[in-house]
Amino acid sequence: MSEAFMLAAMLVLVSMAAALLRAWRGPTSVDRIMAVQLVGTGMVGVAVALGAARNEAGMLDAALVATLLAAVAVSAFVRRPEGAATSHSKPNSPSLDR
Amino acid sequence: MSAAFDILLCLMILATAGIALFVRGAFAAIAFFIAFGNLLGLAWLALGAVNVALAEIAVGAGVTGVALILACSRLFELGDNLADVRTPLASRLGSAALCLGFTVMLAGVVLTIPPGDRLSKVVAPLLPGLGIENPVTGVLLAFRGYDTLLETFVLLGALVAAWSLTPDASRRLPPTTMVMTDPTSRIVAEAFTRLLAPAALIIAAYLVWVGSDLPGGAFQAGAVLAGALVVATLGGVVVLPRLDSLAARIALMVGPLTFLAIGLAGAALGGRFLAYPDGLEKTLIVTIEYALAISIAAGLALLAIGPPQPMPNNARADAR
Repeated sequence: MSEAFMLAAMLVLVSMAAALLRAWRGPTSVDRIMAVQLVGTGMVGVAVALGAARNEAGMLDAALVATLLAAVAVSAFVRRPEGAATSHSKPNSPSLDR
Repeated sequence: MSAAFDILLCLMILATAGIALFVRGAFAAIAFFIAFGNLLGLAWLALGAVNVALAEIAVGAGVTGVALILACSRLFELGDNLADVRTPLASRLGSAALCLGFTVMLAGVVLTIPPGDRLSKVVAPLLPGLGIENPVTGVLLAFRGYDTLLETFVLLGALVAAWSLTPDASRRLPPTTMVMTDPTSRIVAEAFTRLLAPAALIIAAYLVWVGSDLPGGAFQAGAVLAGALVVATLGGVVVLPRLDSLAARIALMVGPLTFLAIGLAGAALGGRFLAYPDGLEKTLIVTIEYALAISIAAGLALLAIGPPQPMPNNARADAR
């Protein structure tokens, strides 16, 4: 049975490589963040499959933590002003300290 | 099958690291950094080091990725498009040499570790006396408590360093609002907070509790809580405290101070500094871990979101 789970982990890993290709080619940041989300989802899948193959419950906790935190990165990304100054008419004050 | 999996994973890790280093554009580099953290987490899982994998996934890929995205967008708001950064050749070569030197040093240290697992033979017989089954937690909080105590102050030091770079004027300002500027996104983030925050709270409490017997612990739990805090801030559910807020400082200090107080109490009760009284080991270790999780969550969230900055007046007005 653990061979089957290992095979599943391998297949998901291959699909993660495809997602990485999309993240590399882009072309927009939205493509990249969605591709990285897919990598994160695949990572959860591989962690679950590995945990099942090796019968280790701790790996499921790792998958759980990854699921929770992946959503936070997207939320932070959505806040990112695409073409900052134009979309929110926020003046770029020269006095701003960096 | 397992070997093919390992080889493919290694190739993907190397490729992701290379792209993150050489890709043009800060955001693409961050995207690959997050993917790199996830793959590295998988590598630790494949090696059977679940504790390290949890920390890498929670802190390396999770919170650090969020901090980088937020830093990138803040620089963007300040008018730095991060696109035409030209680093002089000398500093490129210099940093490459430094990194290479560090890698060689690490490799040298790793290769001097004698083969065979001698440490766990030393630790395993001592664990039953603590009532703790996770050897990592046992080593961190009981046998090497002094190191861990100092490490808990490192995060505080990082936060103080970040705060000390803020201009004086902004310290008296209300915190920078990180609320989503787009109303629809804000509603989504607010609703999402109500889903995420309870789940994060339960999982954080679970991670600390399970950490005494299975992989888990205060740092991973703190990272999960910090993630929930960041989303809550983005949705406007939580308003960040000012830098001089007493509550924020108590939250930041409660973990290290609890650890220190219990350590001193151990010395006062006739043992050594950081020695736990017999029979109370597990209770005290779990108490320290819960207090540490609170401080780590507050520290990571405040670091990820960053110190306040002076904002143009109209931007502050419509953000409130």
